[in-house]
Amino acid sequence: MSAIDLQDVCLYIDGKLVLNQLCLETQVKRLGVIGRNGSGKSTLARALSGLIKISSGQLQVSGINPYKNRKAALQEIGILFQNPDHQIIFPTVLEEIVFGLRQLGQKKTSATKNALQTLTTFGKIHWENVPTCALSQGQKHLVCLMAVVAMQPNLIILDEPFAGLDIPTKHQLQRYLEKFTGSLIHISHDPIDLQGYDQLLWLEGGKVALLDTPEKVLPAYLDKMHTLGAGDDISHLSH
Amino acid sequence: MISLTSPIETKAHHWNAGLKLAALCLSTLVLFSIDSLVIKSAFLAFVITLYALPGPIFMRYGLSKLRILWPFILIVFLWHWWVQELLQGSAIIIRMICAVALANLVTMTTKLSDMIDVVRFITQPLQRFGLNPRILELSIALVIRMTPVLLNKGENLGMAWKARSRRRSGWKIILPFTLIALDDADQVAEALRARGGLTNQEKN
Amino acid sequence: MEKKIAYIALFAALIAALGLVPKITLAFGVPITAQSLGIMLCGTILGAKRGGLAVLLFLLLVAIGLPLLSGGNGGLGVFVSASGGFLLAWPLSAYVTGLIVEKWRSGPLLLVATAGSVIGCILVMYLFGIIGMAIVLDKTLLQATGFVTAFIPGDIIKAIIAGLLTAAIAKARPASLLSRPAQNNAL
Repeated sequence: MSAIDLQDVCLYIDGKLVLNQLCLETQVKRLGVIGRNGSGKSTLARALSGLIKISSGQLQVSGINPYKNRKAALQEIGILFQNPDHQIIFPTVLEEIVFGLRQLGQKKTSATKNALQTLTTFGKIHWENVPTCALSQGQKHLVCLMAVVAMQPNLIILDEPFAGLDIPTKHQLQRYLEKFTGSLIHISHDPIDLQGYDQLLWLEGGKVALLDTPEKVLPAYLDKMHTLGAGDDISHLSH
Repeated sequence: MISLTSPIETKAHHWNAGLKLAALCLSTLVLFSIDSLVIKSAFLAFVITLYALPGPIFMRYGLSKLRILWPFILIVFLWHWWVQELLQGSAIIIRMICAVALANLVTMTTKLSDMIDVVRFITQPLQRFGLNPRILELSIALVIRMTPVLLNKGENLGMAWKARSRRRSGWKIILPFTLIALDDADQVAEALRARGGLTNQEKN
Repeated sequence: MEKKIAYIALFAALIAALGLVPKITLAFGVPITAQSLGIMLCGTILGAKRGGLAVLLFLLLVAIGLPLLSGGNGGLGVFVSASGGFLLAWPLSAYVTGLIVEKWRSGPLLLVATAGSVIGCILVMYLFGIIGMAIVLDKTLLQATGFVTAFIPGDIIKAIIAGLLTAAIAKARPASLLSRPAQNNAL
């Protein structure tokens, strides 16, 4: 289980305060993150994986500073983004999976062997030389997942990984996800994705609105969402 | 996307863009035809005064734009110092700084919309050869619209790379970047077609 | 028609976006700007006419005052600086590169695209760039050539990369390679 520890974390993006003195201490196997679009969920994901720097405060994941200690972060934390077309870099499935392994320092032969092992574990050894652009959306999502899992992180952060997928594909991907033995931090604005999770973090305006079990958080969250839905805050311009 | 027009309003902001450009062309031609170091230096003083008139912020910003010239200034200075013709070297450097500074001044004091009007005016003769000015303006708008979009997607790709590698992203990332541009082009074409298409655009 | 305009506009935007991402480091630690790679790709992927128009559109936007050049530069000043000749040659370079990829059908795309990039985006570009530099810095053509020779090896590597990228894109999206349209690709 990966320990998440945030103390008064502030993060500015283009002058806008996106994470607002965020305090969070948790160590569960399955953490869900919910909140409206613009609440800071994606920014939190990027901060936790060390991809962006926090403006102030303390942030530690599994005892390391993921932004400063990239080497440890790459070994500990994997992240899956929303759009596989903005994530897949290489022309073939095998190359895409081998990439992360080589970046971890593995030599070409062992990286290839481990990549093939990952494909076999997922039952997709026949995908080895398939061009990534020939895959369906769901298949691309799976390749991204395999590429991250191959690096054997202890924690995978998922930033709305199922957005736009049809129900069967979503269920199939969720099954693959359930097999992961490490911790998961799963961001979604759809609560159905987070059923059975240990804790839910409800993020609002860059702050923690509620951190508790799904049974306690979901009713309050859904209630608030419905109330907001009856309003018209879509009219408000941010500047 | 923010243009390079200075937010500090000057008198020049209200002058006719076409006249400013014509004056720029003339000045640049004159600058490159005269030989006297004295005149060139006076010209440089004049240009710096123009930068100083709207205030220190304007001047500091404007002169900072000249920093990209430093490699050329260095080469010319070293060359002419070596062949012991520093005076001639100074003349070349002053001339270049003047030309670039004057051109940048026009850019800083002209609104984007005024520039586009000039473009429309200048490309009028090309209409005979099939150039549709509405399509030209649409193209300009499309690039302004899509550059931040592509940039954002490029940054996402950069993040995806950084999530798996400590090394800076190499040229390999240009492959998915270009594919994204191609996909976006297809989608934009579809959106254009859905809004009536371009084949029957009235020229006016 | 819509597709043609969209491709030209998007590639102009791509050149701009490539100028605003951080510098790319080549194999031997030589930094290059991705923007010049974008010029090559305009030619090799869009072909002569559309590639040239995309680059021309890009330069037009730089001229009217948008900071689209590497490092956030732009405006009219860049065209009269010592490197102005190179800049002004960009549309022609893309055109020539595209022409070679369009006409030379018998060779493998990797070779043709690389050769096209070398001839269009190095030979032609340096020709005009050196003339421009010679005028602004008041030097002979030979002297100006001397100033820029250091950049040629990096540019050749760039051309090879452009060839590799073009071949990979042709494999991934054959229908998008406008420089070598399929028989029934109506645009």
